[in-house]
Amino acid sequence: MKQLGTIFRFEFRGYLKNKVFVGTTVFLVIAIAVCMFIPNITGLFKSEDQPADRSVILIYAEDPQLGALVKQYFDPAFPDFEVKLAEGSLEDVQAQITNGSADCAFAMDSASSYTYYVDNLSMYDANTAVAETVLKEVCRVAAMVEHGLSPEEAAEIMSAQIESRTVTLGKDQGQNFLYTYIMIMALYMVILLYGQMVATNVATEKSSRAMEVLVTSAKPTAMMFGKVLASCLAGLLQLVAVFGSALLFYNLNKSAWGDNPMIASIFNIPVSLFGYMLLYFVLGFLIYAFLYGAIGSTASKLEDINTSVMPITFLFIIAFMVVMISMSSGNTDNTLMKVCSFIPFTSPMAMFTRICMSTVPWYEIVLSVAILLGSTVGVGFLSAKIYSVGVLLYGTTPKIGAILKAVWKA
Amino acid sequence: MRLELKNIDKAFGDKQVLKGVSFTAESGKAFGLLGRNGAGKTTSIRILMDVFKANAGEVLIDGKPIDYKKIQIGYLPEERGLYPKKIIIDQLSYFAQLKGMTKKDAVVAVDAWLERLGMTEYRNKRLDTLSKGNQQKIQLVTALAHNPDIVILDEPFSGLDPVNAMLLKDVVKEQIAKGKIVLFSSHQMSYIEEFCDSIAIINAGKVALHGDLYDIKRNYPRDRLVVSTTKPELIRRDFGSACTETENGALLLQMASPDEKSAVMKRLVEQYDVDEIKVFEPSLNDIFVQYAGEQV
Repeated sequence: MKQLGTIFRFEFRGYLKNKVFVGTTVFLVIAIAVCMFIPNITGLFKSEDQPADRSVILIYAEDPQLGALVKQYFDPAFPDFEVKLAEGSLEDVQAQITNGSADCAFAMDSASSYTYYVDNLSMYDANTAVAETVLKEVCRVAAMVEHGLSPEEAAEIMSAQIESRTVTLGKDQGQNFLYTYIMIMALYMVILLYGQMVATNVATEKSSRAMEVLVTSAKPTAMMFGKVLASCLAGLLQLVAVFGSALLFYNLNKSAWGDNPMIASIFNIPVSLFGYMLLYFVLGFLIYAFLYGAIGSTASKLEDINTSVMPITFLFIIAFMVVMISMSSGNTDNTLMKVCSFIPFTSPMAMFTRICMSTVPWYEIVLSVAILLGSTVGVGFLSAKIYSVGVLLYGTTPKIGAILKAVWKA
Repeated sequence: MRLELKNIDKAFGDKQVLKGVSFTAESGKAFGLLGRNGAGKTTSIRILMDVFKANAGEVLIDGKPIDYKKIQIGYLPEERGLYPKKIIIDQLSYFAQLKGMTKKDAVVAVDAWLERLGMTEYRNKRLDTLSKGNQQKIQLVTALAHNPDIVILDEPFSGLDPVNAMLLKDVVKEQIAKGKIVLFSSHQMSYIEEFCDSIAIINAGKVALHGDLYDIKRNYPRDRLVVSTTKPELIRRDFGSACTETENGALLLQMASPDEKSAVMKRLVEQYDVDEIKVFEPSLNDIFVQYAGEQV
């Protein structure tokens, strides 16, 4: 136990003194601070009496009445644009678009037929879709007027409002999606990055032959647990720094963000989810870090690490993909996710996602955590065994079967 | 204190690496563990240090199974290496703490050793900024800082310049004088001869020779004579194939049995112009080649 503490402190101090670790954390905190201060920063450059230049949409119609009617409907439909009636010929309109004085133009043949002119058509250009909705309304109103209704009556029919209320008894996936996504991504990044760091750390000790002294000074179990726990705390510290600073800077700029629903949904994470995240982060991190450490101990050269850890990385990426696909499909309670919630290598992400985005019975959570906890301890001791066999094997990286055989006999 | 490895067997998979290895070493004396590459020296050392468990046999201290919580072992491995990017005092105190010292005691002990080895100026430097020889001196501190009862030095002199080799010799002598068991493993026979009172030669996983070095030499068949003469050709002609030449130009006469010693000496003195005659005593190198080379 004393050795474990010594190793833990030494390894943890190593992270705190690691320039890359400190640099990345500081960079992330600064990046978050900049993002959170954006409304205040942009506010500094905004002037109240000088409205910003808005993009221009031109409407070209040979019939001036048609042009005026379309402009009347386009004005409210394109609030971010300045809708103008074009002057001159169609060539003049095209020239204005290419020289940049207008963004795009609608050349109207009739209320139901037009040509859209744009310089570079963006992948996300939704102007035609908006225009079509508006023009359909124009046609419908025109038809209603033709059938004897007054324009006011027709407009009232078109603007009929439906009142609705939604009562969410379980979880609101629309609201939870964003923060679940962020937390899963954080879990994914931290486990993958730190897992690699643990593997590299062990392989470095082996390749620098520091291992020769270490194995004679400390028990493999203490070495493995000390290293992995230190990296877990370092990862956790980085997560706390990133999430904590995000929360802090958000609260400092809360008024500037106003009612931005996206930002509000990210920061409206229930406290209980932080608890679950912590639990699944720690257990998920440990089980993978143990595996990474064990694999690192079998590699003789640092160059071998990337190939050696590939099977574990694949396993983890598969777990991540299952979760991501289920999240985007909107059904996080599908059979695959339910099965993955009880497999130790996938449950940290699968069960956590289910908890965030649907209603999971408490006994399923308890069972999932119990399986994960037991497996983590088991994998920890197995990894320590592999470590004790692996660290003194030099030369070509042994096959997994040979390692397990050696572990069995040790 | 008496360290004893008794009938140690060890196999890795199907390969039997050690077959009934036994030897003893005593405190206040240096013990030489010799053998060719791959003979089983490092495996024996690792079993002694509890890195590997033996398949059979035991490690005893004064006749009782060794208690690793009470007996401290210091080890200078043949494959040198520490943390190249870490500060020297940090890693040396870390290794001493792993051996059970408190942080405060570890720093004090490490500082004392750095001073003893003339390395204090490198205390707060990274290991990879030091020369190979200085790195080796730093590594020696990991073996000695925690004041071990048993000191195991694997090829301690390799890579050291004569001045540092002299410093290390003094350190080793101090350790022996302090009553430690010093276990040497080296291929540099001159150092083993200089320090070790007793040796064991391991050959293909078995102890081929074990005992007091002086006794081994004395018990070697005394059936050869070393003769220094100004006219070697006369003796060579008379003794024929029984007469060979040594590396330093003296003649080596092989007798049929040690009993002929007096008669042959008398004959040489009476018949030839002889400067010096003595009974041939093998060097450790000769003994090593004979016992460790048998498998070749």
